[in-house]
Amino acid sequence: MSKAVYRSWRIVLLLMATLVLVAVRGRAETGMCDGASITIPFMDVSASDMFFCSIAAAYFSGLTNGTSSTTYSPNDPVPREQMAAFVSRTLDQGLRRGSRRAILNQWWTPSVFASTTRSSINAASWYVAYDGADLWATNPDIGFVTRVRASDGDEKQFWVGAIQPFGVLVAQGAVRVTGNTDPGRLYTIDPRTLGQSGNVTLITDQLGAFPVGIAFDGTAIWTANQGGSVSVVSNGVMTVSAGFVSPWGILYDGANIWLTDRGDNQLKKVTSNASIATSITVGSDPQQPIFDGANIWVPNRLSNTLTVVRVKDSAGNPLTSPFVMATLSGNGLNDPRTVAFDGQRILVTNFGGDSVSLWKATDLTPLGVFSTGASTGPNGACSDGVNFWVTLHGTAQLLRF
Amino acid sequence: MGLEAVLVSHQKVMICIPTFRVTIGNRRTGVLSLILLAAIGSVRLSANTATCGGASINIPFTDVSSSNIFFCSIAAAYFSGLTNGTSATTYTPGQPVPREQMAAFVSRTLDQALKRGSRRAALNQWWMPTQFPSYARSPVGGFPITVAFDGADLWVANFNFKTVSRVRASDGRVLQTWTVAEPPFGVLVAQGTVYVTGFTIPGRLYAINPATGGGGGSATLITNQLGSIPRGIAFDGAAIWTADEGGSVSRFSNGMTVVIPGFGEAYGILYDGHNIWVSDFGDGKLKRLNSDGFTTASVPVGSGPGFPAFDGTNIWVPCLDDSMSVVRVKDSAGNPQGSPFVLATLTGNGLGGPLSAAFDGQRVLVTNPNSHNLSLWKAIDLSPLGFVSMGPTAEPAYACSDGINFWITLNGPDQLLRF
Repeated sequence: MSKAVYRSWRIVLLLMATLVLVAVRGRAETGMCDGASITIPFMDVSASDMFFCSIAAAYFSGLTNGTSSTTYSPNDPVPREQMAAFVSRTLDQGLRRGSRRAILNQWWTPSVFASTTRSSINAASWYVAYDGADLWATNPDIGFVTRVRASDGDEKQFWVGAIQPFGVLVAQGAVRVTGNTDPGRLYTIDPRTLGQSGNVTLITDQLGAFPVGIAFDGTAIWTANQGGSVSVVSNGVMTVSAGFVSPWGILYDGANIWLTDRGDNQLKKVTSNASIATSITVGSDPQQPIFDGANIWVPNRLSNTLTVVRVKDSAGNPLTSPFVMATLSGNGLNDPRTVAFDGQRILVTNFGGDSVSLWKATDLTPLGVFSTGASTGPNGACSDGVNFWVTLHGTAQLLRF
Repeated sequence: MGLEAVLVSHQKVMICIPTFRVTIGNRRTGVLSLILLAAIGSVRLSANTATCGGASINIPFTDVSSSNIFFCSIAAAYFSGLTNGTSATTYTPGQPVPREQMAAFVSRTLDQALKRGSRRAALNQWWMPTQFPSYARSPVGGFPITVAFDGADLWVANFNFKTVSRVRASDGRVLQTWTVAEPPFGVLVAQGTVYVTGFTIPGRLYAINPATGGGGGSATLITNQLGSIPRGIAFDGAAIWTADEGGSVSRFSNGMTVVIPGFGEAYGILYDGHNIWVSDFGDGKLKRLNSDGFTTASVPVGSGPGFPAFDGTNIWVPCLDDSMSVVRVKDSAGNPQGSPFVLATLTGNGLGGPLSAAFDGQRVLVTNPNSHNLSLWKAIDLSPLGFVSMGPTAEPAYACSDGINFWITLNGPDQLLRF
């Protein structure tokens, strides 16, 4: 064989080898995961890569798109910007797939409300709470508390005997209701009671003046009293007024009690003896807030804004210095009254706008504003994990959203 | 000759040369022993302890100092099974994460979140049943077809008896039986109402008010102007949609019905949060519709697609050719995929004339009427979880989930099965 022929053969062989390599590398890769043959489009992830199945899972579940349609670049380091995308997608997917809405195939956001979405609740209502099966709504004008079954919207019971029932809380198998009087009252309902109606039981008539919001911290019941105090009910009643002007909404975040004060436009964290530990300035006339696991969302009635306050660190521990993370406006905010959280989304009732506004809780993106009908006056709200439930003050109804 | 790390207790790690005898506790495992301790740094080679959440926490990674600000995060990732470390005793905290490891981190995280956050976990229901006693079976009407869950009760369309059964999920008791003028097929629960398709030409739509007390009643006819032979039914927040076997899709809203022709044999239908999707048995395609009912994407799937399920990212389409097409319809941000495509075509795992898919937040279940069994997959990685026989004459037809159990209609014995 001459040198020229030898060189030519070498070139041909080299080209063939290259073509074979390209052909092999140009295919999607197929490997075995849990006994099943799995194919992914990334040519640079070998079936023998010990992370093949993890990369396949991340691709199939939508956590990664690869670095191109056919490459994953498995050995490239992950810059922090990609890291943020990975973890936020993971959180989002976890919440989306794990929600009860996913299980019930309820991926819609309603824009029309048939009559069956509206349960009559006897009279204009303020607040509503969920006990795991039923909803409890207060009717201050007629002194009722109305019980509605969440699955079908049927009114099951009404309870009488409360004076100005306002805030409502479900805790430890009992329904607790504030009476908006001076001095304030606290009532209880035993939901095991049968029959169409019953009488509430008075626990105390010695709360601070005009209690509105109500919360439970595992030991004590707390009320935010519009008259300028906070009451703590546990083996007696303690009412503290120092530093409070006109408290309205209240919640417990797993570590601390927080309340909104309409009098000085502050969100206040209190200690176990009801002294103020932290005050954060929010918008004008803050109402009933909600906690989403990391942040507290405060609706500001007069400034038509939503203040998002970071109260927990990334490990879930209380922040030493909580701060305003964002102030949201637009998205239909109009006289916002109450915020509710369903595990993924934040809903705000717009009393003046006859609408509700939605945000995605993880990234604060607006999801739109939805009319509830003229003169409906949406006021209180809660979630049952599938639907939001909104009290319509104007039509004396409870709306399934 | 390299060094070998030997774990001698759950807290202490020592380095030895493996050809020498090593004594661990009372056991002698070699000839000579040479234990290198303090000079190398016993602190660096010991498992580390730090305080997290007020508790003393110990991890086996010798290279994670107790003063590392990420100590508690690394401990949490280790304890919850999200990481194994880079070896039994190292985590290599300063090393950059390659993308292949990142995939493992995030897929494990998603898996753990779904597993731990499910209602099955809260109820300690980690089993997959293989036997089905009488109390797992609720007797419903003749030839039960589709089933839907309202958050408390299940609603079953009984084709031959022209009835709809209401079954309480908690105990399987039949609470009510509703009559329907025509054979019912599809069932949908939306906005506090139970909607049922009537399997007629033209098609019919009925409504049931579940707040009605007593033992049931008669379903109310809403319209008799749907397309022919409606099977599947879905809601998009504004309108009710039906997939009509006669070759159309119907849209019902504000008392008006619009019948959209141009389909082969529309069977299944679902809403994914953005779009309506229809499986067309006639031409073997999964079709995306816009709000006017126009087809905006058409994805070829297997032959004879049945009733699909959406898992938040992908649509699972059971196909009569003993396959399952998994179609990617959302991008990684949860927005509609510009060009939806078949992500995978699954076979085996007991598929035998698969008809209907259901999703419980973690798993996808498929009914196989021909082989009388149920097949399960893990949704996030498409891995098969096995299949379970229902008995020789069960004919499992349609399924849904209540978040704890799957519920399956059995055409053979006219039962609703808790799985």
